[in-house]
Formats: sequence, structure tokens, C-alpha cells
Amino acid sequence: MQIPDTIIQIHETVQQDTLDYRHQVARFLKGQVSPVAFKAYRVPMGIYEQRESGHYMVRVRLGAGLITPDQLAHVAGLSRQYGNGTLHLTTREDIQLHDLAIEDTPAVLEALLKVGLSTRGGGGNTVRNVAVGPYAGVGPEEVFDVTPHAIALSEYLLQDRSSFSLPRKFKIALSGTSQDDAFASVTDLGFFARIQDGTRGFEVYAAGGMGSSPRIGIKIESFVPETDIFVVAEAAKRLFESHGDRSNKHKARLRYVLARLGHDLFVQTYLEEKQRVLQEGLRGDTPSLRQIMAVPEPLDTSASCPHTQLDVRMEKTAGYYTVRLALPLGDISAEDACRIAECAASLGLRFLRATQSQDLLLLSVPQTHLPQIDAMVQGLSVALQNDMPPMVACAGASTCKLGLCRSRGLAAAIADALQWKIWGSDQALPVIRISGCPNACAQHQIADIGFQGHARRVNGRLMPFYNIFVGARLEQGHTELGHRIGALPAKRVPAFMQEVYEQGVSTIDAFKDCAARHAGLEAGQIPDDYYVDYDACRPFSLAGLGAGECSAGVMDIVNADLQQAQEALTSDHGDTADSLARAVLAAARALLVLFGVEAKSCEDVVQGFKTHLVAPGWVDPQSQDLVQQAATGGLKGDAGSRDSAASLVTRIVALHGSLDGQLNFTLAPVAEPVEVSQGTVPGVVDLRGVACPMNFVKAKLALERVEVGCEVELLLDLGEARKNVSESLKQQGQQVLKINELKDCISLIVKREK
Amino acid sequence: MTLSDVQIERYSRQILLEEVGGTGQERLLGAKVLIIGIGGLGSPAALYLAAAGVGTLGLMDADSVDLSNLQRQVMHHTPDVGRDKVVCAAEKIHAMNPDVSVNTYTQWAVADTIRQVIRQYDFVIDGTDNFAAKFLINDACYFERKPLSHGGILRFDGQLMTILPGRSACYRCVFDAPPPADAVPSCAQAGVLGVLAGVIGTLQATEAIKTILGIGDLLTDCLLTYNALTMQVRKVSVNRNLRCRLCGDTPTLTSLVDHDQTVCDLKGAQS
Repeated sequence: MQIPDTIIQIHETVQQDTLDYRHQVARFLKGQVSPVAFKAYRVPMGIYEQRESGHYMVRVRLGAGLITPDQLAHVAGLSRQYGNGTLHLTTREDIQLHDLAIEDTPAVLEALLKVGLSTRGGGGNTVRNVAVGPYAGVGPEEVFDVTPHAIALSEYLLQDRSSFSLPRKFKIALSGTSQDDAFASVTDLGFFARIQDGTRGFEVYAAGGMGSSPRIGIKIESFVPETDIFVVAEAAKRLFESHGDRSNKHKARLRYVLARLGHDLFVQTYLEEKQRVLQEGLRGDTPSLRQIMAVPEPLDTSASCPHTQLDVRMEKTAGYYTVRLALPLGDISAEDACRIAECAASLGLRFLRATQSQDLLLLSVPQTHLPQIDAMVQGLSVALQNDMPPMVACAGASTCKLGLCRSRGLAAAIADALQWKIWGSDQALPVIRISGCPNACAQHQIADIGFQGHARRVNGRLMPFYNIFVGARLEQGHTELGHRIGALPAKRVPAFMQEVYEQGVSTIDAFKDCAARHAGLEAGQIPDDYYVDYDACRPFSLAGLGAGECSAGVMDIVNADLQQAQEALTSDHGDTADSLARAVLAAARALLVLFGVEAKSCEDVVQGFKTHLVAPGWVDPQSQDLVQQAATGGLKGDAGSRDSAASLVTRIVALHGSLDGQLNFTLAPVAEPVEVSQGTVPGVVDLRGVACPMNFVKAKLALERVEVGCEVELLLDLGEARKNVSESLKQQGQQVLKINELKDCISLIVKREK
Repeated sequence: MTLSDVQIERYSRQILLEEVGGTGQERLLGAKVLIIGIGGLGSPAALYLAAAGVGTLGLMDADSVDLSNLQRQVMHHTPDVGRDKVVCAAEKIHAMNPDVSVNTYTQWAVADTIRQVIRQYDFVIDGTDNFAAKFLINDACYFERKPLSHGGILRFDGQLMTILPGRSACYRCVFDAPPPADAVPSCAQAGVLGVLAGVIGTLQATEAIKTILGIGDLLTDCLLTYNALTMQVRKVSVNRNLRCRLCGDTPTLTSLVDHDQTVCDLKGAQS
């Protein structure tokens, strides 16, 4: 295949792997490859399954965030042909297509390859996209253009197949300025452009990262000449390969290697790896550092820049401007993308850039062309948020399997609250970043104002909440993460933001005061909708978050319950029956979320405790009675009950402390596991011996207990039950996925559609 | 709330309905409906709401059962004559459906106390037989922002409308104030076909259930009239009245007032 060398030269191995993908999909569709094995192959190709099963997302890496007008038009066309007709820009300068069928993905990958784009390493435990700051190559303040280095590093790392089977993902960023517009100080491997004695080179940081336990990278090189970046990257990658924890993906990233080794040993190990690389030589070809973005000839600027509605920024070459299109949360329709691409091509622009703030930039626009761009932008259907503070939100709980809060809904609510409001300060607009859970995909720790979703129990019910982070600073060698200054119910955040915005709040103390003013919740006066997240129709819930999906946000809930249990036990009235009962119930409830159970009532606690903690032998079987008594008000306040309650709390705390990265208890059970009858296996409903139409009634109720999109297995008698129940379910719009004839009954797999 | 096996079986025929289901049944069991007047309208309304598993019913009536009531007030039986209506009704409901808890109020609807009672409920059914009470209940429901089903019967004619206070036309938007005393004959003077009470009372219960479940279309901004002789059913559109003294743009009624009772013969006249 002839592939144009537009921006990145796609190495032969990547081409082979991309073309081989079609065979892998065919084998998977024929059932010759298991879904698990296929997933392990698919994800490093940049293809993820969305929260809705059977729908796939394709993530296209853009080297240094750059895309040509022609490429953009092609990607938009693919979204229209195979996807949902929209494009999404990520915070790592990728571009995503959504809602594709798996059988169409090979055609999409091949079509991308034809225009010089690749998805290889878009996901999974791979070297991810190599990012630069938004104005790399054009910004007046940059030390030098780091775009060629980002492209060359991508090319170097992608040719080596070992880059696609690392212990965990590995992210690289290069900043051309000391202001760290590429977030190089909080990345696995970060480069800062520096000139020493007239030689171009880099100061290098490693083991930074955000996520649920963020840390700032440490300096591993004060200066390396620009031609040594491959050696540095290779050494850091090898360090990661040999020391990254492959057994526990939650503790695998490079920053955990640093935590384990300590600063000095980490740097020493890196230097040893580097020495070895220097002796053995690099693993592949060394790409050339090519000038991608040619510096244009300065224009005559005697005429002043035409006035437009556009958000423009002067470039380092006189007469040229960068036009920023502030896309709401990085979304743009394929039609709009095509119009932008056509206009850019017709004006002879060479590149657009997707930025880490999910904006789309038109680069090096001669000032004389600004009116044409302005006219084009007026015709777009997207409502650009040029006058708004830049806002970044992760996918959130509506589509992400890990999500707790619906961050995109909050972003929309904040945008509403700030509409037509006036920023009350002469400082630059604050950057707002909203992560729906502690995994920090929206990088809230480096925002001017960051929000991180979590769940809190208020009056016994779960409420979506956001922690507020302010005071972050990004600067080479002096980066600081944001400080948490308080927390608010999700529904109070827009009012808080409106006050912050109108008053131009900037100091940490002022933020604290403002948050405190909005934080009060008076029992009995809490509106019901506080318990319902944005764009959600049901009360906020952790149901459906299985152990596999448990994120750090779930741990907040566990900790809150454990704390409540301990407080109730040690309070001044600790020996009254009432506080003992509270301690017992909180302890019994604490760990149930780890099993995907959200106990809403005392009965739920009793049942969940029995199924998940007593039956497998994790706790003393006699504690079942204790919990039962606490739930029914039959617990005495005597010393005996107190001892039992205390030992239950101690045991639950110990079990919690023993959780490993996969959220399994590592303590030994204290009792023999009890066989649980089939009827209580979650997801299987035994309706054998139940006559029509009661079997249908119970089937319907079982479906109502799971979320839309989930499946339930029903066991039914042979004979008329099968037809009656399956037909009735279909009539009510539910989907019968499978009917299995078993020996003495049939099994019906039903998916809840509504 | 989780439905017990007994409950699943008891309510199975409405759980089967797509619009109800287990979630709807749980909602009904958690709902509270106040029925004011346990006579011709209140009897069928209370019986069907209890049967459907509305978890809490409030019954308000100060009257006792009269022999002349039994022709249309089907909650009350011959041995009940002389006993308090709310007590008789509570017994029947307990026997019919133990899931339902009943609060009884042996009192008339009066301005002093009505708001405190209404406040505890999700929906109010007006089954009273006199204009003073109907206006009082309408006003109280507006002040407490509680949905209300108004119903009335006389001879062969019945009418009802549903009011979502502040959102749809209220009783006062349509009928500004009670008519002068003696302008309208009471049941005792004019007579009433007993089954008519059953028709309108069950329609009121239907509106309560739909409101609780959030399904279907309500009789809001609409007065439904029914004539048992001609079998004509009409839905008359009514609009919110911007000059309504209660819910209009410049309200003049800002607290409850007791109107004079225009019905002379309360004993035995409870519709």
C-alpha cells in the first residue's frame, strides 16, 4: 500500500499489523477467537467497546496533535459512513470516532492508513500519543519548535512491537515553553525544550502522572542534546518494562515504580538502562528530525488585523494567527468538520491541531484570510464556547464504565450558569476541568478550578458530590497540583461557579469561603433532585459498578461507612443500643458496594451481608444474627452486644485493609463457605414450578431490578411457559437473546431494553 | 421497598401492565391519598385505591351512617347504620387489604385544620357534597401545592376535573365562588342515582392512580361531564383564569376562609 508521508511516517510493522487486523476480526466473528483474546488484540489497536455493548470507538493518534485538512475531511467522512456522524477530540490530542460496528472497523483502519493516519497504540498498555503544547511550532514564546521531536519519537517507538505490550500505558509529552503547556511535568516522560551553549536539547522529567494518585515527575536529565531523545525514551521505556508491576494494573504506571524504588534508586536505574542502550544501540531505525511546520515568510502587516468574532492569537511570524475553535467538550459534527477542512484547504492552510483542552486550532492563518474563516465559522452548527472559560470534562458515567458522576452534564450546567455572565477579574479566564471520578481523566488536578466527582451518603441516600481543587501551577521545575478546598453537591456547583466567575475569585482563601457558603445542607430541606445526577432519570446509584469496575470513588463510600461504624462505636453514647445498631449496620454495609450491591434499606444490608460476607466465610457466621438484630431494633445495649459489635467492626476494617489491587480480600476466611442455593445467584431467576402468568410477573420484576441494557437469566418449566413468557416479554419491548433447552427446564436470557 | 411474594401475587394483574410494573406498584404502596367525604364518591374511590395497594389512605368525614346513605354509599352496610363513617370504612379496608394503613379524621373540612392534614398527603380526592367544602379544599390544595380531584353529582349528572395547583386551572378559575344559598338544590332535595356516585368516584380514583404513577393524560384544564340518562360524556376545556382570585396574576385570596354552608340537610345528604 502506498501511504503518503503527511505528518507521521507509518512504519512497516504498523502497516502490517493494521492490515492483519481484518483477519483477526474475521476470526473473532466466526467464533475462532474468544472475546477476551480478541479484546487483548483490539484495544492496543485503539479500538474500545463503549458502555453500550456492541458499539465500538476508534481512537486515531494525531502526531503532535496535527492533522491536515484532507485527513480531517477523510476522518469526518468515515464517521458519517460507519459511525455516528460526530468526531470527538481527546485531552491527549487524539481524535475519536464513535458507535461503529466491529465488522466495519477493519475498513475504517485501512481507510485511515491510506491517508497516513493510524490507531496503533491508541489504547491499552502501549506507548500512547506523543503530545505537545497547543502552540508548538507557532507560539512566539517557545524556546524552539518541539513538533519534529514529538513526531520522530512516535515514529521511533511505534516501529517496535514491544511498545504495545508494556506493563501499563506510557505517555510522553514535550513542552516548548517553561510554562508547560504540554503538561510534561505530570506525564510518564516529559521533555522541556532548552538551549545550552547554543545547542538544542531538553530537560527531562519522569514518573509524573495524574489519575487517582497523582504526582509530579522528577528530573532525570538536566540537559540532553535533541538527538539523544531516542536514547532517553528507550531507557525510560526499558526501565518501565523491567520494573513496572504487571500483576497489578492499579499500581503499574511508572510513578509507582518511582514510589517503590525511591528517587535516587529510580534515577540510578534509569541511568543504568541508558548506559545499556548506549552500549547495545537502539532497537530500531532512528528517524530524522524533520521540520514539519515550515516557518512561513513574514507578511506585510502595515494594514491592521481585520476585526472578527474569532478567538485569535498572534504567531511568532508576523502576519500569521492561530484561530482557536473552542468546541464544547471536544465534540464536533462530521458536517462541521468537513466545512472546516474544506475552508482550510481552500485557503491553503496546511495543518490543524487538536489540543489537550479539546479545542481545534487552525494554524498559521494569514491575517488577510481571517474574514473568510470568520464567515465559515458563522455557518457551523456547533455553538463555539469562545467567551466561556475553557472547560474539559471526561466522558463521565453516562458512557464510561468507571464513571461515578456525569461530568459532561455538570459541564453543560456550568456553561448554562455562566451564559451572559461577566468574568470579574482582569486575569486570563480560568480553565475548568471536571473528572467524573478519582481516575482524573479530565486532569482536574492541574486546572485553575478542578472538580472531581465522588459519592457521599446524605440522610442514608447517595448523592453525587464534587471535590473542588484550586491553586494548581504548571511551570518547568515548579509545578504544583491543585489543593482540595472543599466539596459541594453536584447540583450546587453551577451556583458556586457563577459566584466565583462574577466576582473573579482567585485566592485559595476566597475559594474556600465561597465553597463554604454553598456547602451547607440542612436536613429536611434537601431538594430531591440533589440525589439525581445531571441528565440522569434515576436517583444516583453505584449499582452496576462491579468489583472489576470499582474505582477509587467507591472507596470513598466504603471509608465513609467504616468511619461511621467506628464513630458510633466509640461515641460517648457508645453503649446504648441505638448507636451499637448504627455501628453494626454501617460495618455490615461498608463492603457491600465492592460486590456491586447498593444497600438502600436495612433488609438489603441483612441480605447482602448474608450473601456476600457470611456465606463465603469472610466473617463469623454468628454476626448474621447481630446484623439481623441491629436491623430490626432487637439489639441490646449490654456489654456482650458491645463486644460483638466491636469485633465485627474490627473484622470488617481488617478485610478492607487486606484488599489487593484486584479488590480481593487477602485475609483468610474465618469460616467454611456455605453453599448458596441457585435461587440467590445474581442474574439467575428460578421460575420453575411457577404457573402462568405469575412466572411472567416475576420475570418482569426481575428485569426491573437490573439497569437497562443488562441481562437476566430465567429458568422456566418446559411447555407453555416458554412461549408465554418469551412472547410476553417481547410484546413489552424486551429482548430475548437466547433460549437454551436444558434437561428439565429451559433457560431464557433476556436483555432489559427499557 | 421490595415486594413480598404475597404482594406480587395480589397485585400481579396490574404489575403485568407495562405502565405499572413492579416500580409502579412500589410507588403506589409508598403513596398517600386523602379522601374527604366518605359517602357516595368517597366510598368507591377508597375501595379501589385500597384494592390497588395505595399504601396510606386518609379518610375524613364527621358524619355517621344513615339508612338513606346505603343506596349509593357502598362502603357502608346495614349493620353500620349509626356508626361513624370513617370507622366503618377503615374496618372494610383492613379486611380487604392489610397492606393499606388508614388514618381516620372524624371531623368536617374546616379552615382551621384542613391544611395541616392535606400537607401529609400526595393527592386529595374531594368527595364532599357542598360548595363551601369544595372551595375550601380547592383553596387549601392550592396553598399546599397538592394535586386534587374535584368531583360532584346531582340527579343524573356528574362532573369531575383534576387540578395541579399553579399549573392547571383550579376550581375557582372555573367557578369563582359558591352560589348563593338555596340557588342549587341539594341531593336530599333533588335526589341522585346511586350508581352515578360509583361512576364518578371510580374516575376520581383513576386520576389519583395516574398521578401517582405519572402515566397517561390527566383531566387537567378540562371538566368532564357525564349524564347517565343520555349517556353523553363531554370534556369541556377550561383555562387558567389570569384573574382567578386564588391562582391568578393578582390573587386576593391569600388565606383560607370558611364559606357558609349552603346545604341545609347535612344529615343524610352526604353525596
